[in-house]
Amino acid sequence: MSGKKTNNRASAQQEKTFARFPLGQRWEHAILILSTLTLLLTGLPQKYRDMSWSQDLLSTPERLYLIRQIHHIAAVVLAMEALYHIGRAIYLMSRRKLSAAMFPNMQDVRDAWAMLQYLLFLRKEKPAFGKYNFEQKVTYWFLFFGFALMGISGFIIWFPVQFTQFLPGGVVPASKMAHSTESVVAAIFILVWHFYHVHIERLNLSIFTGRLSEKEMREFHASEYERLTGQAAADKKE
Amino acid sequence: MTMRNLQRQAPWLILAGVIVLLFSFFTVFPVNARPAAQETEKYCLSCHGDSTLSMTLPSGEEVSLYVSQDELDHSVHSNKGIECEACHNNISTYPHPKIKYETRRELSLNYYQTCEKCHSTNYAKTQDSMHAQAAAEGNQDAPVCTDCHGHHDTSAPDEPRSLISTTCSKCHTDIVDTYKKSVHGAALLDENNPDVPVCTDCHGVHNIQDPRTEAFRVQSPELCAGCHADKELMDKYDLSSDVYSIYKRSWHGVDISVYKARWGAVWHDSAVCTDCHGVHDMRKTDDPLSKVNQKNLLSTCQQCHPTAGPNWTDAWTGHNEISLERTPFLFYVDKFYTSFTPFVLWACIIYVALQIIRSIVDRVRSTLS
Repeated sequence: MSGKKTNNRASAQQEKTFARFPLGQRWEHAILILSTLTLLLTGLPQKYRDMSWSQDLLSTPERLYLIRQIHHIAAVVLAMEALYHIGRAIYLMSRRKLSAAMFPNMQDVRDAWAMLQYLLFLRKEKPAFGKYNFEQKVTYWFLFFGFALMGISGFIIWFPVQFTQFLPGGVVPASKMAHSTESVVAAIFILVWHFYHVHIERLNLSIFTGRLSEKEMREFHASEYERLTGQAAADKKE
Repeated sequence: MTMRNLQRQAPWLILAGVIVLLFSFFTVFPVNARPAAQETEKYCLSCHGDSTLSMTLPSGEEVSLYVSQDELDHSVHSNKGIECEACHNNISTYPHPKIKYETRRELSLNYYQTCEKCHSTNYAKTQDSMHAQAAAEGNQDAPVCTDCHGHHDTSAPDEPRSLISTTCSKCHTDIVDTYKKSVHGAALLDENNPDVPVCTDCHGVHNIQDPRTEAFRVQSPELCAGCHADKELMDKYDLSSDVYSIYKRSWHGVDISVYKARWGAVWHDSAVCTDCHGVHDMRKTDDPLSKVNQKNLLSTCQQCHPTAGPNWTDAWTGHNEISLERTPFLFYVDKFYTSFTPFVLWACIIYVALQIIRSIVDRVRSTLS
């Protein structure tokens, strides 16, 4: 609802736009969405196998086998994407072709504190955020470690016999619990935190279009706007 | 005694009468204290009491026609006054009608059908049993009523309880031998323990089903749970009554419960109790011969997970609740998520709620100003 409004405003003003995500990163996000969604949809019926809705869905042993195959294929796709993502980031950063803007720093702690004050009406203005604000960094790193955990625990319960050749047996039930619980934690996080910030607060389609409008830049990434344009972001604000 | 005396004593006489009447309420007069009069039994035994009496069937088998008084004295029927002709209902006169059976077995297979007259419920049950199925498939040796209960000496089948396994061992000798060495069988034979299961407790009494079917397999854990989830009973032997509820949450248990609920006709290999503990030879876990004793556990796992290494056995939480000592990895993961999950949930909800409140307040303010 409020997303539509933002769209109308953006098109009405014919604002200049700023590049945010290169094509490669947009493709990565598309793969991430598709594989994660597949993993969730094929994983949850397995997690809740003792529930009747899951048993209705997995109505034959063949279906259960099929859904596991799909889950495993999506897991391999996501794992390859994760390895590509990390490998590429390390490669580019080592050649100083990628900024370290995504890494958390003290500014994020200050921003979070200021944002909390703003939300509690202790402060009038929102803090001025850089290219990635602390909310976006929380999203990125929460899911980064969440996916790492899901990947490791997932492969352990996929190949328990092989892993226990060199790992203690106790990691298998621990991985099963971690995989099962973390999936729900990650799903809650994406649904509440990420969906609010990219759909409800404003419809932020930059991960698909690759660009942000000037208005969005000024409102949500004021520091970055100032750094790029040399103008004060608050000047033109209504 | 004069009339006057009688009148004087009248209250005492009435009191005495009332006392006698009251006592009579609490006194049970034996209705049938002595064996019922057996009229035909005596008559029949006048011939059949001869231990040399016998006949030869067309098959060449010699059938003894001797019925000993001693056997009849032990029979539940004779003592209740049930006469010979109640079962031998084709015989009412002497000379008897000619026997038309070729073999001794054929004779038994025809005579036992008279049991139905009185024991119709149990008789009907046996018709649904594995044994009846074997008979229908042409197995002449498949047991009928008299094979288990006896004929002239039919007595209580479970006195003592170990008699049940003795009865089954007549055919299932190897299995009963194995059972006798199990924790259940040993307790039955050594202590006449009333709690341990005998054959019929798991297999049923008259409608004994094939225990090798898909359906029997997936419902077998519930069978064990009948006793092993009974807290009062397990406390008596210092055993955990949570073994079943913990199994049900395990990988194997969930799998089996789905097959039971939905795919009862599909064979499934996920482990049930007997796969690890043994079918008839279950022993205490600290018994070195137990399949689930720490020493033998890996080879038991390897029945299904042939490539599993020595660390594998720790992957099985062994019907134990999560604990730091036994399952440290699981313990810490559990501890972590019991606080982490609600923290993430509430942090997200509170932060987003604050943002929504703030943005609504801002909008209201800007429309007002």
